[in-house]
Amino acid sequence: MNFKHKYVFLLPGLIVLIGILIFPIIFTVRLSLSGWNSFNPGLDFIGLKNYIRLFTDDPRFWQSFFRLSFLAITTVFLQYIIGFALAHMVWKDIKFKRFFRVLFLIPMMTTPVIMTVIWRTFFHESLGPLNDFLSIFGVQPPWLSSPGLAKVSIIVVEVWQWTSFMFLLMLAGLLSLPKEPFLAAAVDGASPFKKFIYVTFPLMAPISIGAIIIRLIEASKIMDTVFVLTSGGPGTSTETSSFFIFIKGLREFQMGYAATASFTYLIIMIISLTIIVKVLTKVLMRE
Amino acid sequence: MSLMLNHISFKPSEEYHLNDISLRFDSGKMYTILGRTLSGKTTLLKTIAGLQTPDSGSINFEDTDFLSIPVWKRNVAMVYQQFINYPHLNVRDNVAFPLKQRKMDENLIEKEVQEAMEKVGLIGFESRKIQELSGGQQQRVALARSLAKKAKILLLDEPLVNLDYKLREGLREEFKKLFNVSDESNSILIYASTDPLEAMQLNGDIIVIDEGKILQTGTAKDVFENPATAKVAEITNDPAMNINKCLIQDNSLIMNDSVQIQIPDELKSVPNGKYLVGIRATDIYLDDQGFAFDVEISEISGSETFLHLRNKNLKCVATIEEVKTYNTNEVVKINFDKSKIYLFEESGDLRHSPYQQ
Repeated sequence: MNFKHKYVFLLPGLIVLIGILIFPIIFTVRLSLSGWNSFNPGLDFIGLKNYIRLFTDDPRFWQSFFRLSFLAITTVFLQYIIGFALAHMVWKDIKFKRFFRVLFLIPMMTTPVIMTVIWRTFFHESLGPLNDFLSIFGVQPPWLSSPGLAKVSIIVVEVWQWTSFMFLLMLAGLLSLPKEPFLAAAVDGASPFKKFIYVTFPLMAPISIGAIIIRLIEASKIMDTVFVLTSGGPGTSTETSSFFIFIKGLREFQMGYAATASFTYLIIMIISLTIIVKVLTKVLMRE
Repeated sequence: MSLMLNHISFKPSEEYHLNDISLRFDSGKMYTILGRTLSGKTTLLKTIAGLQTPDSGSINFEDTDFLSIPVWKRNVAMVYQQFINYPHLNVRDNVAFPLKQRKMDENLIEKEVQEAMEKVGLIGFESRKIQELSGGQQQRVALARSLAKKAKILLLDEPLVNLDYKLREGLREEFKKLFNVSDESNSILIYASTDPLEAMQLNGDIIVIDEGKILQTGTAKDVFENPATAKVAEITNDPAMNINKCLIQDNSLIMNDSVQIQIPDELKSVPNGKYLVGIRATDIYLDDQGFAFDVEISEISGSETFLHLRNKNLKCVATIEEVKTYNTNEVVKINFDKSKIYLFEESGDLRHSPYQQ
C-alpha cells in the first residue's frame, strides 16, 4: 500500500475540522490580540494589551470564573449523589421499576430554556406558587433578587434539569456490572451497606469519572439557565464566565476583549479538567 | 455440631427446584452432591449459603435457625463454578476481602492471607490484577478466599468444571489435600459435581440428587454397588449405566427378540415378569459368539473407546479397553458380563445387585 494520493482521502474530514474547529481557534487567538470593538471594528494589532487588562484590571472576569467553578462543582456533585442514589434505587427489582426509570428521565427530555422560564415563574417573589406556599409559614424569600438565594435557585434548576442525565449514565453503568462479585461479597460477609462501599462503588469508579467529567464540561458552559432565570443578576452575583463573555462580546461589542476572555477561559478549563481527571482517578480508582 | 436440612422445598415456577429435601451434614466430614445439570445442586448450595430462600422447610446449624440469619452473617464460604472474584481488587485484596469485612487486625489478616495463598500455590501473585491471571489461577484465588475465611461450612459448586483437563486433574489432587487440612478445623465441606468419577475420587459421602429430589445417600462404595434406583445408576456412572426394558421368562432374560441371555443362578429366584435391566458400559465386552450390534457412534476417550450400539430398538453404550476406530453401521459382536447384571423393578427400584448378599 504505497499509494501517493492517500492523503487526498483525508481532505473531506480535514476541511470540516479546519472549518469548524481549527480556524475558529486560530481566529480567536488573532482576535484576542486586536482591539476590535464597535468604534474600531477590524483586525488591528494591539499586542498583549487585552491580556494585561484581563489579568490585572478585571476582577469581574475572575469573580465570574470562581462563581462558575463553585456552581459547576456544586451542581455536578449534587447531580452525582442524587443521580447515583436514584439509579441504585431502580437498579434492584422493585415494584414499578420501569415506571420510575422513565419518570426520572423526564427532566432531560424537556427543553432547558422553557423549563427555566417555568422555574422563573415558580420562583417569582410575589406571584410564584413557591412563595405562595411558603407564605403559610410566614416567609417569602426573595429567590431571584438576593445574591445568595439567586445562586441557590440556579443550583436547584440545574440539578433538577441534569440529574436525569447522571441517572441515565449511572443506571447504564450499574446494569453493565457483572453480577458475580455481588454474590461473592454477600457470602464473604459484606452487609448491604458494605457491599455498596467495597464492591458497587469501586466497580462504578470508571463510569463515575466519565459521567462527572461529561457533566463538568457541560456545567462549565452554563448559560441558558443564568440568562433566563436571573440574567446574571442581581448585579453580577450570578454571572458566569460564558455569560460574561457573551455580555462583553455580543452586548458591548468588545470583540477583541471577549476573544481574550474566551481563549483564557479555554486554557484554564483544559488545565483544570486534566487535573480533575487525574485527581478523580487517583481518589476513586485508588491507582 | 451438624447442619440439618428439614423438608426444604423451593418451587419458583411450575417445577420443583428443591423437593422436600432433608439432610444431615456432620462437621469434619466431606459430602459430594452428585447430580446432572439442572438437578438442583446449585440451588441447594445457594439455599445453605443464604443466597436463596426456600419456600418451606427449615435449616438448623449449631441449634440456631439458619434461615433467619442473613447471608452476610452466616459463617459460610462458597466457591462457584464460574471464577468469581472482585475485578477491581488485586489478588491479595481479593483473598483478604472476607477477613476485612470482619474487621480483623491487619497483621492477622496478612498472616491468614499468606497461609491461604500458600495452600493454593499463589505465592508471588499477590499484587497481580485478576484479569492478568489464567482461569485456573482465578479459581485458585476464589478458593484461597474461601479457605482464608475459615468458615464452618465450605460450599464448592462444581469448582473444576470450567477448567481444562490437565488443571482439573491437578487441582482435584490439591483439593483432596486441602480438605484433609480443613478436617482439623471441623468444618463441613459440601462439594457439588456432575462427574461420578470425581465424586468417587473425592471419597466423601455421596448424595445423589435429581429433579430436586434426593435419590440416595451413602458412601461412594454403597452408591456404586447398590444404586437405589435405575436413575441413580445412570447418574453415578460415566458413561451412564445402560438401562433397558426386559422380560424374564423361564430363566432367560429377553431384551428384544434377538438379544436374549440365560440368567445367572442368583437371579433364578426372580419371578417371571417385566423388569429393567442395568449393565455398566464396562461390563460389555467384544465376543465373536455374542450378539450383533450396529455401531452408531464411536468415540475415543483416553485409552478407551466408547461404542454407542444399537440392535433394533435396543440401545447401549459399551466401553472397549483399547483405542480403535469403528465405522458407523459397522457390525460388532458383543456379550454381557452376566455376573454384573443389575435388575430394577419397572418403577425403577433396585431388585437385584450383583454385590447383594
